[in-house]
Amino acid sequence: MATGEGKTYKVPIGPVHVGLKEPITAWLDVDGERVVNATIRPGAIHRGIEYMARERNPIQVIYLAERICGICSFAHITAFVRAVEDAAKIPVPLRAQYIRTILLELERLHSHILWAGVACYTIGFDAAFHLGMQLREQIMDVLEIMTGNRVNYGVGTVGGVRRDITPAVASAIHAMANFYRIHFRTFVDAVFEDPVVKARMRGVGVLSAEDAVRCCALGPTARGSGLRLDLRHSAPYEAYGDIVVKPVVPQDIFGEVHGDVFDRFAVRALEVYQSLDIIEKAMEGLPEGDLMWEPKLPKLLAYLKQAEGEGFAALEAPRGDDTHVVRLVKGDENVTSWKVRAPTYSNAVSWPLMFRQQELADVPLIINSIDPCISCMERVLTTDRSDGSSRVLEGKHLSDLCRAKSRAWGVASDLPRTGTARRMGA
Amino acid sequence: MTVAYNARFVPAAFPDVLKGLLGDRWKEVRVHDRPGGKEGAVQYREYWFDLAREELLPLVDALSSLDAVHFHVLSGDDMGDCVALVYHFSLGSAAGRGARVGVFPRVCLPKDDLSVPSLWSRIPGVEYSEREMREFLGVTFEGLPNTASIFLPEDWDENVKPWRRDGAGLAPEHVRELS
Repeated sequence: MATGEGKTYKVPIGPVHVGLKEPITAWLDVDGERVVNATIRPGAIHRGIEYMARERNPIQVIYLAERICGICSFAHITAFVRAVEDAAKIPVPLRAQYIRTILLELERLHSHILWAGVACYTIGFDAAFHLGMQLREQIMDVLEIMTGNRVNYGVGTVGGVRRDITPAVASAIHAMANFYRIHFRTFVDAVFEDPVVKARMRGVGVLSAEDAVRCCALGPTARGSGLRLDLRHSAPYEAYGDIVVKPVVPQDIFGEVHGDVFDRFAVRALEVYQSLDIIEKAMEGLPEGDLMWEPKLPKLLAYLKQAEGEGFAALEAPRGDDTHVVRLVKGDENVTSWKVRAPTYSNAVSWPLMFRQQELADVPLIINSIDPCISCMERVLTTDRSDGSSRVLEGKHLSDLCRAKSRAWGVASDLPRTGTARRMGA
Repeated sequence: MTVAYNARFVPAAFPDVLKGLLGDRWKEVRVHDRPGGKEGAVQYREYWFDLAREELLPLVDALSSLDAVHFHVLSGDDMGDCVALVYHFSLGSAAGRGARVGVFPRVCLPKDDLSVPSLWSRIPGVEYSEREMREFLGVTFEGLPNTASIFLPEDWDENVKPWRRDGAGLAPEHVRELS
């Protein structure tokens, strides 16, 4: 690694890149190739969604909420409708609670597998990336059979859900679960048995348990640091009231916690199996009954117009606790005020701590480690403050840098490449 | 002092703690029971209540003696004569199944003095929320070191506070209607 000469360069990453689902800028202070400090600046795609809700009724806002994120769209609308149900005191039929739970776990499955594949791509393990993408299609097919869409399903509503689990959907879900029980192991073996993966992820982007608590880190980011933080466990909502979920933490997998990218990877990989268990239990226990508290839309809207109160909902989305807060005022047919707090909003506070003393080549991986949507960089402008000169580093250069580090580990490592990883030619 | 979640936090003991902190005002606390699952049993509870701004730091210190306070977000709104901020905290985040307690104090700030103590020195995780409420509602957080804009553009007019419903809020020319 190039060492610095006491000169610090400021390197902006972002805000816009083809691989970034949520545009965000990380200003890195770099000495040689070592990151000394980092400042995060979000806001490039602030759309004023909460402001827009002031002129929309709660049912219209569902469709706005669904467009906050393409990956965890159902998590967002479920958090929103739960907040409205809390404010307006609306009970949800049991069958709807179970269907919500199943959809939330299907969403977690495809989000986690997407993330794991993209993390492999970031370090140049393309075979595992392609395998991950291929595996993920099974869930996307189930979502499409159930809802008609691969993303933004349009299934949630205040007081219930709008689609049932028919016998055809149930058999597609069972077939999918059986498929993953058999085939996801191939991906896990390919990654966990590969010495280069371990060398690239162990000890990289460390977040200590104490920092994770202080920065209010969430979801797999917090669990990767050893915190048993999972709202499905600490605040059971919907069918999680019947289905016990134990937080997945590295100390239960490896006997110790590093709080690094590898631990975050392991947590997400094992949560895939946990989600399969939850889906199977929910399918077994799926009660008969109504899908909605009030199926007649004009009646529901009239009730909501008379509702007065504040409501809060936090649920365990794939990336962590997704929080929505609403305030309804009697006589106002619209959502008077709405606050959305996606998990990245909280986890990004921990980013500067993860970047410190890390190599520039590891930055794409660290960025990726908290958020399954953010993968790599398109271009970076480096500025030499001493003479004011600047040059653009293309995405390819950074990608080559990141991959060259993997190759160096592959050559230097004397560990045997085992089983699946060797067969895949990684 | 090490900051860690208290695995032995007991949610059933929390109402008495809150009664001790609020005294007679306990009667005004809005308790939201959150049911889930087949028996319709209450799985966890959330407590909404009003607080004066000078009571905020003592409350956070009192909560911190029970468990590391997990901060979700600040929600806020322009209520006409004041700006209301609601702090969304959790206790018992890692204390077992159903142990989470939601603690949601609301602080109303008069329009002629929109200032409140920052919680940043106690909970660094509040930074984004406090910066967001500063730029969207015009609240000053005393003790917050980084007060730079977070979500609004670099060239945003600092005098315009998008979530305010009075003269400081958005003018019609700021809003682009989508078809």
